[in-house]
Amino acid sequence: MNDNNKVTGTPISRIDGILKVTGKADYSTDHPVRNVAYGILFKSTIAAGTIRTIDTAEAEKAPGVLAVITHRNAPKLNVKGGIRGGAMLQSPAVDFFGQHIGIVVAESFEQARHASRLIQVTYDEAPAKVDFDKLAKGAVRPKDKEDEKRGDAKAALSTADYKIEEVYTTPIEHHHPLEPHATIAEWNGDQLTVYNSSQIVNGAQNATAATLNIKPEQVRIVSPYIGGGFGSKGGQWANLVLTAVAAKVVNRPVKLALTRQQMVNSVGLRQQNVQKVSLAATKDGKLTALAHETTTHCAINDEFVEPCGDCSKLMYDTPNSLITYRVVPMNLILPTYTRGPGKSTGSFALESAMDELAYKLKMDPIEFRIKNEPERDPSNGKPWSSRATVQCLREGANAFGWEKRKPEPRQQQEGNYLIGYGVACGTYPVHQRPSSALVKLKREGSTVTATIELAAADLGTGTYTILAQTAADALDLPIGNVTVRIGDSTLPPAAGSVGSVGAISYANVVNDACMKITDDLIARSGKQYFARPTASQVMIAERIDTFQARVDSKAPEGADDYSSHSFNANFAEVRVNMSTGMVRVSRFLAVTGAGKILNPKTARSQIIGGNVWGIGMALTEESVVDPRWGNFVTRSLGDYHIPANLDIGNMEVIFVREDDTISNRMGVKGIGEVGIVGVAAAVANAVFNATGKRIRELPITPDKLL
Amino acid sequence: MRPFRFTNAKDAASAVRSLTGNPNARFLAGGTNLLDLMKEDVERPDELIDITRLPLTQIRTITSGPNQGGLSIGGLGRNADAANHPLVRQNYPLLTQAILAGASGQIRNMATNGGNLLQRTRCPYFYEVSMPCNKREPDESSARAGCGALEGINRMHAIFGWSEKCVAVYPSDMAIALAALDATVNVRKADGQERSIAFADFHRLPGDTPEKDTNLNHGELITAIELPRNRFADHSYYLKVRDRSSYAFALVSVAAALEMKENRIVQARIAMGGVAHKPWRALKAEQLLVGKEASDATFRQAAEAEMAGARPLSHNKFKVELSNRSIVRALQMAVNGGKA
Repeated sequence: MNDNNKVTGTPISRIDGILKVTGKADYSTDHPVRNVAYGILFKSTIAAGTIRTIDTAEAEKAPGVLAVITHRNAPKLNVKGGIRGGAMLQSPAVDFFGQHIGIVVAESFEQARHASRLIQVTYDEAPAKVDFDKLAKGAVRPKDKEDEKRGDAKAALSTADYKIEEVYTTPIEHHHPLEPHATIAEWNGDQLTVYNSSQIVNGAQNATAATLNIKPEQVRIVSPYIGGGFGSKGGQWANLVLTAVAAKVVNRPVKLALTRQQMVNSVGLRQQNVQKVSLAATKDGKLTALAHETTTHCAINDEFVEPCGDCSKLMYDTPNSLITYRVVPMNLILPTYTRGPGKSTGSFALESAMDELAYKLKMDPIEFRIKNEPERDPSNGKPWSSRATVQCLREGANAFGWEKRKPEPRQQQEGNYLIGYGVACGTYPVHQRPSSALVKLKREGSTVTATIELAAADLGTGTYTILAQTAADALDLPIGNVTVRIGDSTLPPAAGSVGSVGAISYANVVNDACMKITDDLIARSGKQYFARPTASQVMIAERIDTFQARVDSKAPEGADDYSSHSFNANFAEVRVNMSTGMVRVSRFLAVTGAGKILNPKTARSQIIGGNVWGIGMALTEESVVDPRWGNFVTRSLGDYHIPANLDIGNMEVIFVREDDTISNRMGVKGIGEVGIVGVAAAVANAVFNATGKRIRELPITPDKLL
Repeated sequence: MRPFRFTNAKDAASAVRSLTGNPNARFLAGGTNLLDLMKEDVERPDELIDITRLPLTQIRTITSGPNQGGLSIGGLGRNADAANHPLVRQNYPLLTQAILAGASGQIRNMATNGGNLLQRTRCPYFYEVSMPCNKREPDESSARAGCGALEGINRMHAIFGWSEKCVAVYPSDMAIALAALDATVNVRKADGQERSIAFADFHRLPGDTPEKDTNLNHGELITAIELPRNRFADHSYYLKVRDRSSYAFALVSVAAALEMKENRIVQARIAMGGVAHKPWRALKAEQLLVGKEASDATFRQAAEAEMAGARPLSHNKFKVELSNRSIVRALQMAVNGGKA
């Protein structure tokens, strides 16, 4: 980083904002492609069994239809090529309700959809495993998750002065990005171009190539803008490769967008979790045991378990700890990474239990947490690179007016509303992932402009902007002279925008590339300087017209010797209508230690986004499966309730100052996930403080508060 | 969606004639429900007759007839215009509140008043064509006959008036207020004559024919909704309880309207949404209130009298208690002129 830091850390507006609000930013299916045909997927209407017959004759004759592709005529694909969730039309087997069983391609979207409804399918049905409540008893230990024991939690619990042993449940949730998964595939000879929303550009490239049995160099992924993903566009799903297959079959470019109704069983979900949390403490509030036992479900033939015990491993100091998982395979689509995987759901259980035990101990929940603050990471004994939990709690309490909270519930009332305050903490790990970047400089007279290129992804959170800021400072150029090109697999490979690694990995590699180009220019000039010149000074002085440099960056040596995480404290004020049980979060404050904040404006938006989803998780969001048939009955945004504007009160965001360059040289920690971690518990704890009702089953809908 | 013919109606007479001539034709007004249903393959008309240009949008004071001095609201006026019309706001604030409690700003700008009354249930088993539903598939021999919700996920479903054939609820908010306000629906018939339907007779309970939501005949066009004069404007309230604060259908809603003399209730109207296949007039509760002093005890008694007749399903027992509380709360709010 350059010393005269000018724009990094300042709250500038998104550099791509105008493009977006004027509709000029091309999302996946916006790309103008000539002669495009339209595909639509059609889906199974049973959860388990085999397709006996599939009659496509009428559909094939329907107006505009170019092809109907089913398992009977689909090209052979490599089902182990890295596409998640199967459903690639390779066999008549049906593993879940709403599995893709075919694709219709037609001249128009309407014609394709119409034809898809003329297809007649008969099945040999098999008994379906779709009733989680019944199946959970048979859950087994996942293949890759050993029970993690430190000390003897069960023994400590049996002799504890104070303890909590409760079960917390969270329902299936869906990502439901406003841009559904959508693809255009275009073949040019044996070269494939795919316009597709991808959180991991190179991951999409490799999975597509491997599944289609072609080389990665034959696949180009173009994904400049993403209309939200939340993890569902991290892995790639069958819809992507089936679009490529369809384009090959009809020998034309094909556009295929999932409908909202199709989103519920096409691109993963956050699984239902039943979490038993047991806490033991001495009467002065020192934790003596923490057990977090999660039971959940996965796909019938593929295991994915979100790590609900992750927060419990490291949030609090306790000599005895037990983290376990049990999972039952079900005839439902494969679960997948969903914002704050395991941490957002796990923190609901842990931080609710902490609140319950603090209440039992008659301790302030903030003081109870601080009393159990660990000096080192209890899960591995490593020192923290930095840990802001206490600072977040203290600064947050101060800013929120925590001292006004009444420790006993039902003590604050205004008209027909009970008012309550709640607090809960969260955390998310920090990792810099290997990435490469290319910097190109161009001089015209005394004006130097830069282009930064890497196959990064912008989920809509501001990647373009923070990279322009980083490069502008590192090159000492006005930000308007910096162009950022990302979201294209022909650019230098980069990490994905997943797991909160995007900003860390991208900002560091861009900074490194700018440092390197400056070094290279100085070396090329052959001169010695009293003060290090900027790249543009050398370009101008040496009359160099164009110059470029590329670097490959990874986490610094020794980063692994430390435990690196973002930490937060969330404060919620709720108002509960005493007659109707409707809850409104009137105030919410998130205080976060997330290292260097590259852009306070986009960072604030991203934290608020996480907070809002956390409020949705607490109060409104739930995907419901009919336990007889395995179908989702909540298939639209009218049924699956993401919070509306009216549900959201005053949102405040504070970042505590942190200077931590252990995990990466820029000192960035990432904020993609931490914003949702701890939110649901803060709301549930506030609901308890308001009403005296402890709701351990999300979402907290009005019926639960009657 | 399936291919269909699209025509523009020039006038009401030709619109009605065209529709009558084709049993598979539908009127298209705001389209906020019909088009969704067509995309989902639930509704499969082969002809849409666009009636949005017919001159049936006026809101005016009625100058003659039984509702003289009341208000006539055009069947093809937009929901947002009805909610915000000065005469509605002033004389029928209950209707304003109910309309604004429904859908979203964008939808209210598109949706028409007549179309609102004809909204179909949002029962998820109705909406997904692979699921059993007698409302969607009235033919008993159909592979999809049956009621998915009766033994299924029925948290949102009826607690009054359902049948083994159908437990769906009617979704409109606007209509709940209209039921409380004793509206009538004016209809142009296939023969060109007009008829008026009392609001209580407009929607139906499912019985053995859940495919029929209303008593409107094919080919009839809603021309206007009439509201009689009343003395409820100072004491009315629409309470909607839902899973989120906007853009969600009611778990339970209550339209309460009182005519008060001092603290005594002279007349009472209570209609409920989210509890039945039609707007549910709480007649037992109303009868108990008339002539009584307004008090929480009286309100509770009235609510309990009404709710004693409820028949909840496996997932919606909470609606009984929620309805009890909501009736009481809506009456309290109505007494206070809508202020908390």
